[in-house]
Amino acid sequence: MQQLPEAKADPHSEPILELANIRHSYAGNPALRGISLDVARGEFLTLLGPSGSGKSTLLRVIAGLEEPDSVGQMRLDGHDIRKLPANLRNVSTVFQHFALFPHMTVGQNVEYSLRLRKVPQDLRRQRAEEALALVRLEGKYERRIHQLSGGERQRVALARSLVMGPDVLLLDEPLGALDERLRLDMQLELIELRRKTGGTFILVTHSQEEAITMSDRIVLMRSGAIEQVGTPRDLFGSPETEFAARFMGVENVLRGTLAAMSGRRAEVRVGDQIIVGRAVGDVARMGPGDAVFVAIRAEHVHVGAGGGAANTLRGTDGAPIYKGRFSDVTYRSAVGSLVARLGDADQRAPKHADLSFSPEHCIVGVVDRGKLA
Amino acid sequence: MSLVSATSDRGGVAPPATRTIRFSLEGAAIRLVTGLWAIGVLLPILSLLVIAFLRGRGIGFIWTPSLQAYSDILVGFRIEIILRTLRIVALVTLIEFVLAFPFALWLAKGLRAGWTKSIILVLLVVPFFLSPAARTIVWRSILGREGLVNSVLMSSGLVDTPLDWLLFSQFAIHLGLIGPYFPSMVWPLFISISLIDDELIKASRDLGGSAWQTLWLVVVPLAAPGIAAGILFTAIPMLGDNVVSALLGGGRVALLAESFDDLIRAMNFAGAAALASLLVLIILALGAAVLALLRRNGINGDVFRGMQA
Repeated sequence: MQQLPEAKADPHSEPILELANIRHSYAGNPALRGISLDVARGEFLTLLGPSGSGKSTLLRVIAGLEEPDSVGQMRLDGHDIRKLPANLRNVSTVFQHFALFPHMTVGQNVEYSLRLRKVPQDLRRQRAEEALALVRLEGKYERRIHQLSGGERQRVALARSLVMGPDVLLLDEPLGALDERLRLDMQLELIELRRKTGGTFILVTHSQEEAITMSDRIVLMRSGAIEQVGTPRDLFGSPETEFAARFMGVENVLRGTLAAMSGRRAEVRVGDQIIVGRAVGDVARMGPGDAVFVAIRAEHVHVGAGGGAANTLRGTDGAPIYKGRFSDVTYRSAVGSLVARLGDADQRAPKHADLSFSPEHCIVGVVDRGKLA
Repeated sequence: MSLVSATSDRGGVAPPATRTIRFSLEGAAIRLVTGLWAIGVLLPILSLLVIAFLRGRGIGFIWTPSLQAYSDILVGFRIEIILRTLRIVALVTLIEFVLAFPFALWLAKGLRAGWTKSIILVLLVVPFFLSPAARTIVWRSILGREGLVNSVLMSSGLVDTPLDWLLFSQFAIHLGLIGPYFPSMVWPLFISISLIDDELIKASRDLGGSAWQTLWLVVVPLAAPGIAAGILFTAIPMLGDNVVSALLGGGRVALLAESFDDLIRAMNFAGAAALASLLVLIILALGAAVLALLRRNGINGDVFRGMQA
């Protein structure tokens, strides 16, 4: 009983955003199939998925810009926001194309939310200048929007959203409109900004690299449902479904049948070969005979004799592709084609070689979570 | 190697040649259009200004500059007509705006693209194809002493004698002007509101803007060029409308355009020219006022640039 108020004071005690069973469809096509998700205070959460996976729709539902077909629960900072229109929800969106008001100056854009809330002009300006300083745009208050570069517009959009002190900042593929170099800079800047403000950020992206770099937690989405939730390390190292493995960029994904299980050690029959790997996900629900996938990252495939690992296959007809920092060599093998990565791009790839990989780096999981449930 | 250099040679020579040809064609076209515009539009207006400073003699002119024409036309009753015309045009333009803005907003942002939208847009074009006289004369059978309105009012017992201020009155002229000039107001508003990116409206909502705040702070300023165009496209032709006042004013309520008919019928060409140059002046003043209003509210080329971005 004594600990109750103390637990309340702990910022991590209750989630800032609670979503339960959100369903939405566009003209009969389901876009969200019952999404439930809690977002912790101060968390950097990423909604990751291919286009059409429902990640942007979910963001718009949270912002109130999209009215979902049905909502089990939607609570922001402990308050029910199901019936609250967008303008009364204390969340703010950074739009993909920034959506800056072209008829206003940078300063007027940034202080727009304060103007709506009838904040006096001098205080408004002071807070707008502070927000601009936060995104390193000091002295640009009087500029017009069309005078800014893409990266600067991005920062104005961030400042405009941050100035209202939102409970949650929603970022809808905000880096998509920027060129490669600027995107990498902005990634670091967003991380820094989150650290400085201590706010809760929800980012939507289709780039697994972006998600891994920035997030505390990743929600991988697929056709309107959550495929897997976890830390970047979880998603990258232990994708639990074939879709997750492919989306997280695993080069070698094979299909097979589970032959034997002991603990996390799984033996899989692929063609007429037995591959030993590490089972991920809900091991208790996997049994011999189940359809499973096997996933091995190219950098974990050892080329040449002396690998000494449990899984060794003969690779033939290696076809190297130069990638700058490394080369990827595609070999033919008894289980289909296998990509191996040579760390030294200038190293000559052997035409035929033994390919080996350790069970630790060979992930085994169910092909489709839907078939299990 | 030879093949590569040959193609690159051809590629290097050919484009400038085509560019030169296109350039001269473009230049010729621009000169032609400018010339036609000067002959067809500027010249008549300039000759109007000249004729206005002459005195008429029969169907010819006395070629000595004079202000006689101006003093001839600026007599009490005509000043009254000018002021009445300006008042009616201003009021009807305001009424058009109040009716057209919500309609254009709904058409541009409230209505999804589809059959309804297409049909409404077509209906908005139809009045341009109808004879102005034909669509105006209909009001007579509605507003007349034995017209539809009076019949209904009489038979329902609301009035004992037919209302005779319905037709051949300022009321009738206001009513008659609203219909024909509604599309002229709706179109520019519809187009400028359509051009506003939906994301901007969503952004305003997202940042805490109520529907009214979003309308006032985002939609209206961004639609300002369309509002200006709508006012000009409506008010300017309405200043010269000679159909509605002739058919629904019944000689009791004369408007400016009828004065032209009167002056020309009396072969007072210098007077007609003087009145016309006065009208041109009024139109220029109106245009300048609208532009100044836009400027004062900080609307300039940025709005259009923002739309393209």
